Amino acid sequence: MVDLSQELFGTTFQNPVLLASGTCGYGEEYSDLIAVDELGGIVTKAVTPERRLGNPPTRISETPAGMINAIGLANVGLDGFKREKLPWIREHLSRAKVLVNVAGRSVEDFVGVVEGLEDEDGFLGYEINVSCPNVEGGTMFGTDELSLAQLVAALRRATRRPLVVKLTPNVAEIGNFARICEENGADGLSTINTFPGMLIDVETRRPVIGNVTGGISGPAIKPMGVFATWKATSRVEIPIIGIGGICNARDALEYILAGASLVQIGTAMFADPFTAPDTIRGLREICERQGVTRAADLVGALEVR
Amino acid sequence: MIRSWSPVVARERVAEETFWLEFDAPEIAEQAAPGQFVMVGFGASSWGTPFLPRPNSVAAAPDGRVGLLIRVYGAGSRRISELALGERVLLLGPLGTRFELGDARNVLCIAGGVGLAPFLLLPRWLDRQGREANLRLLYGERVGAVVFNPEKIQEIAGIEADIWTEDGSRGSRGTVLDGTGLDGADLVLSCGPTAMLKAVRSLARTAGVPCQLAVEEHMACGMGTCIGCAIPTIDPETGEDVYSLVCTEGPVFAAERLRW
Ligand SMILES: Cc1cc2nc3c(=O)[nH]c(=O)nc-3n(C[C@H](O)[C@H](O)[C@H](O)COP(=O)(O)OP(=O)(O)OC[C@H]3O[C@@H](n4cnc5c(N)ncnc54)[C@H](O)[C@@H]3O)c2cc1C
Ligand SMILES: Cc1cc2nc3c(=O)[nH]c(=O)nc-3n(C[C@H](O)[C@H](O)[C@H](O)COP(=O)(O)O)c2cc1C
Repeated sequence: MVDLSQELFGTTFQNPVLLASGTCGYGEEYSDLIAVDELGGIVTKAVTPERRLGNPPTRISETPAGMINAIGLANVGLDGFKREKLPWIREHLSRAKVLVNVAGRSVEDFVGVVEGLEDEDGFLGYEINVSCPNVEGGTMFGTDELSLAQLVAALRRATRRPLVVKLTPNVAEIGNFARICEENGADGLSTINTFPGMLIDVETRRPVIGNVTGGISGPAIKPMGVFATWKATSRVEIPIIGIGGICNARDALEYILAGASLVQIGTAMFADPFTAPDTIRGLREICERQGVTRAADLVGALEVR
Repeated sequence: MIRSWSPVVARERVAEETFWLEFDAPEIAEQAAPGQFVMVGFGASSWGTPFLPRPNSVAAAPDGRVGLLIRVYGAGSRRISELALGERVLLLGPLGTRFELGDARNVLCIAGGVGLAPFLLLPRWLDRQGREANLRLLYGERVGAVVFNPEKIQEIAGIEADIWTEDGSRGSRGTVLDGTGLDGADLVLSCGPTAMLKAVRSLARTAGVPCQLAVEEHMACGMGTCIGCAIPTIDPETGEDVYSLVCTEGPVFAAERLRW
């Protein structure tokens, strides 16, 4: 019998497979099709202080081996999340762990969401989406070392729950950003968010995406996600959640071998909602075949030479 | 909502760049209503094109089969149109909202291009529900070469289509709107290119006839998780400008809700 569980953030994940933010709604959306509570967990759509309507169409399109999206963080907002979404999560997810993805445009936005959720139960902790523009600084939190440090430190003061920072790959040296998060009190990291990209309709000579630019996800970004995960784990002690293009157990294992304790599946769930349960089953099969009894032993087991 | 790997059991080229495909998918066929769609995909492990599934309206549901009318547009629809008999695709559905007939007696259906698909399902679906209504179907295409054969329409849907082409090479010359005296219709349903839907909406509005439109937008999941297929709408309760998801709140919308 293979043990797929992972101990981290002071709790046990029954297996390492989570659904990525923005690709699983708030869990309920998939509950018709898959047993969401059998997963390692889910990460909610980003929650911002106020409800956000999001970007104008077109918001998504297919790109080679993946997709581009510019949803614009459309979400129900903090109050909407507490009123409309959290009750379902609380009632239906007891074994799958829930991270609430938090987004904002200022440190106050992020802290406001976290403080607004502190007294609620039904979720484990936060995943902080720093791929948002900082209205004060102009750059993204996740690409500016100083604003990232200030943000993480402020959030650390605001919560004792697990605080996971989701890094953008759009930086020269992701290890530096990983270090900054750890030094300022983050409990874990998620690598990676989407890559910035564009898609142009050559007939109309216009961008396909209403927002002009968007984020690229899916199998196309998997090698870069594995690389970012590997770079980040070499610089920090805190656990890492590997994300980007995972379509099956072999993909998930690449991230785990590179150092990820958990993984998240996003875009591939659109291609087939069974991807996550199939990945869990596949991990078990590969471990059995390789004579591995505890999947946790594979974390960072990459042999470079 | 059903997820099933379903084999192609019939495939026919029915006009230029236009194909009729049937899949063996009894549960979806049983549940699907006119206006609803299925996502047609190839699973997550093949990351050739298409990687994402493609939305397509359920156009028929005979004997446990799901019939789709596919027009080749880009790489994804081409791949679907080229499926071989017996080849399996991942179907997810039925998804979305359907046309609501209420107690309408005279229903005018206006189809542009493959917007014909939901209206092929409508007549037999009404029969199955034991519901009677007088249906009139106007079907327009730009050119004759892409017109879906009227005998095949008759065979699939048991209804006669009033065909219009802009070049006049099949049916009457002009657009479907040239054929639209709303004469006696107490409900207008339409599906097709946005420009046509807008024109249908203003006609219906002028005549004071209720109107429902089936719209399209790019989709990834088809079930409300990606929030990708949002279109600008008006919130019917508050009158606010909002966005609605074509996959779960549509594809069929009351015409007055659309903010074009
Ligand atoms: C509810 C609904 C029902 C539909 N029913 C039918 C039908 O019965 N028959 C039919 O032939 N077509 C139908 N379509 C349109 C069909 O989904 C598109 O033609 C198809 O997705 C185009 O994909 P592609 O790879 O061939 O084109 P590409 O342009 O190469 O596709 C690139 C990306 O754009 C998206 N895309 C491009 N055009 C559309 C469009 N018009 N609608 C949605 N996504 C688009 C694709 O899904 C893909 O992600 C329907 C669309 C919707 C939303
Ligand atoms: C449609 C869509 C919406 C997303 N929304 C969010 C979001 O709200 N917050 C966030 O941190 N990441 C968001 N992401 C990024 C994913 O969580 C993930 O990091 C990325 O897509 C790479 O993983 P994948 O290749 O498995 O999809 C979104 C991705 C997609 C495709």
